[in-house]
Amino acid sequence: MTIKTNVTKKWIDQLVEKILFFMALLSASFIVMVVIVIIERGLSPFFSDNDGLGQVNLLRFLTGIVYLDGPTFASNAYGIGYLIISTLYIALLSLLIAMPISIFSALFIAKIAPKPLGNTLRTVTEILAAIPSIVYGLFGAGVILDLVYNLSLIVGVQSSAGFSVLSTVIVLAIMIIPTMTVIAEVAIRAVQKELIHGSLALGATPTQTNFKVVLASAKSGIFTAAILGVGRALGEATAVSLVAGSRRSGISFALFETTATLTSTMLQGMKETVGLDYTIRFSIGLVLMVIILLVNFILNFVKSKVGRVHV
Amino acid sequence: MSKFSFRYVIDALLQGITFLFSSISFLTLGAILVFVFNQGWSLVNIDLIRYPYESTTILGAPLEDQNEFCLCEPNITLDPEVFYSNKWGVGFSQGQDLLGQATVQLAYIHPNSPISSLTNKGIEGNEFVLLPEYLIQKISYNDRSTSLARRGVERMINELESSNSIYEIEVITKGGGIGGSIITTLWLIGLTLIIAIPIGVGAALYLNEYAKHSQFANAIRSFIETLTGVPSIIFGLLGVAIFIPLTVATTNATGGNLISGALTLSVILLPIVIRTTEESLKVVPMDYRNASLALGASRTQTTFKVVIPNALPGILAAVLLGIGRIVGESAALIFAIGSIVRDEITLTDKSTSLAVHIYSMMTDEPANIELSSTIAIIILAIVLVLNLLIKFISSKIMKGKLGGVI
Repeated sequence: MTIKTNVTKKWIDQLVEKILFFMALLSASFIVMVVIVIIERGLSPFFSDNDGLGQVNLLRFLTGIVYLDGPTFASNAYGIGYLIISTLYIALLSLLIAMPISIFSALFIAKIAPKPLGNTLRTVTEILAAIPSIVYGLFGAGVILDLVYNLSLIVGVQSSAGFSVLSTVIVLAIMIIPTMTVIAEVAIRAVQKELIHGSLALGATPTQTNFKVVLASAKSGIFTAAILGVGRALGEATAVSLVAGSRRSGISFALFETTATLTSTMLQGMKETVGLDYTIRFSIGLVLMVIILLVNFILNFVKSKVGRVHV
Repeated sequence: MSKFSFRYVIDALLQGITFLFSSISFLTLGAILVFVFNQGWSLVNIDLIRYPYESTTILGAPLEDQNEFCLCEPNITLDPEVFYSNKWGVGFSQGQDLLGQATVQLAYIHPNSPISSLTNKGIEGNEFVLLPEYLIQKISYNDRSTSLARRGVERMINELESSNSIYEIEVITKGGGIGGSIITTLWLIGLTLIIAIPIGVGAALYLNEYAKHSQFANAIRSFIETLTGVPSIIFGLLGVAIFIPLTVATTNATGGNLISGALTLSVILLPIVIRTTEESLKVVPMDYRNASLALGASRTQTTFKVVIPNALPGILAAVLLGIGRIVGESAALIFAIGSIVRDEITLTDKSTSLAVHIYSMMTDEPANIELSSTIAIIILAIVLVLNLLIKFISSKIMKGKLGGVI
């Protein structure tokens, strides 16, 4: 009798393990699915006839500065070169704003602030990091657009109701600062006590220690924060599309000009769900994925060069 | 000595900068809260759920047998801001529709009023009753020029009083409700959790209990980890390419639908669920497993009766994190479900979650910031509560007070 129950137990054990194994495999397979889908659908406009519109020219697609879509044009002339540049430009600018702010506030929260204030600030930052991007987009459309428009009046530059590079950069920076602060703060708190004590024992002031020893030792974690921040800035879609101004052609470096990113262009004119206008979104998605991978790779490379600490 | 005090100044300056920069977080949170409450608070009321999103316009004409005037006093005390016409027995007040626009609202109607019930000109021979929640768009007369709602309530009531014969009244039922989007959001939360939690917990169990350090587990772990770096709009494309065709083939859906949206969200949630669950599985002491196995329990029994109950707080945290993600997700859902606001929710048709409802209204011309802010208040409240709950649970996990059976 006991032997029989043991056999059933073993059988059940094996079955359960198989089921759990299948679930793990299924979870892992989704990234493969994403990659296959994006590559397969994203490349098809360049090889198929696109229902009579003709193949999309890959070179012109990647370098073009005019994006023609919609029933008015019904062509295969999509150029996203200007979108690639704008996307990178906007992500870079927002990183430049967000980087110092998030590093210094992380330092303040972790090392300088009195404990109650530090804890409050940490909670505030965590809540900000959890606010969905659409709310940031709404805030951008309701507040930042007005601010930027008024600023453009003061400066005396033309601005299309505030839809501009500057608004997009501000909204993205506001969005990624909390995320980056949370990660940088964890890295700063993880710095070994011995290093800090050593620095203090050598006669450095607490502030000198914080800036020269703590930040230097947390470099690797701070880079991780930057990588995540840039990833979020590059991939953000809805918030950007509410403040960018959906530019259709031409690179815009000037702060008060309208702009567009890869993601905001993907979100435009979602009425049709068939045809080349729709499939081309997969191609833009493919380009976006490649850009994110490249940027991650470069930043990781820099991190491995700079992140090593010599104290 | 002078060098020392110079150092002191620099230190104070640097500390001041860190303080200034960190106060930016406070300011942003404050600014966002002030903005959404300022814009949206006035629309927070039960009408948001009671009324549909689409408002309908009804053209009504007086019934043929109603020729007498009311000439009656109201049988209740009216608010001082209600303008009353005792000839027709109706009182109007300055109202605001759910989109925040100023309108004329029917505030009171006397039971004997000649226009208490009207003929619906849209549907032949149909009568309808004027209800005090309707908004009056315009009233046209047989003996004078039309009065329009946008010219103000006082003028409308004076013109009504001076006329002896009404030709037709155009009323609109109140719209701008978000009940449909709330239902969709609830459906999405339910469906997504039902799909993602079992798979995610199962995968985490396999990775942590069955194949902890195997090369295969590490490969799977890094595959799942890569999913977190994928922007949500790409998951939307996955939904379009795989889940929409799947649901179209198996149900009577024709395009994006709630089920394909839930499936897409499940993929987004999986890495979060797996990671959070694995963290909580790791803190279950090894002794518990050994003790259970030594007492003769099978591996399955140990996993489901000892390990899972002790990891429950972590799984709960995964659920809460998941709900937060579902409520806030917009880009993926715009692709996987669509951005058309609906009142009647069916699983196999398009509809919007609260976040997509905001997107849909903000991309409309003109953008509706007031109602969007009202929805944002709801989303922010959910996010805040979830955040505090997660903090509470994780502090419990940290202190080792697991709500397990042992």
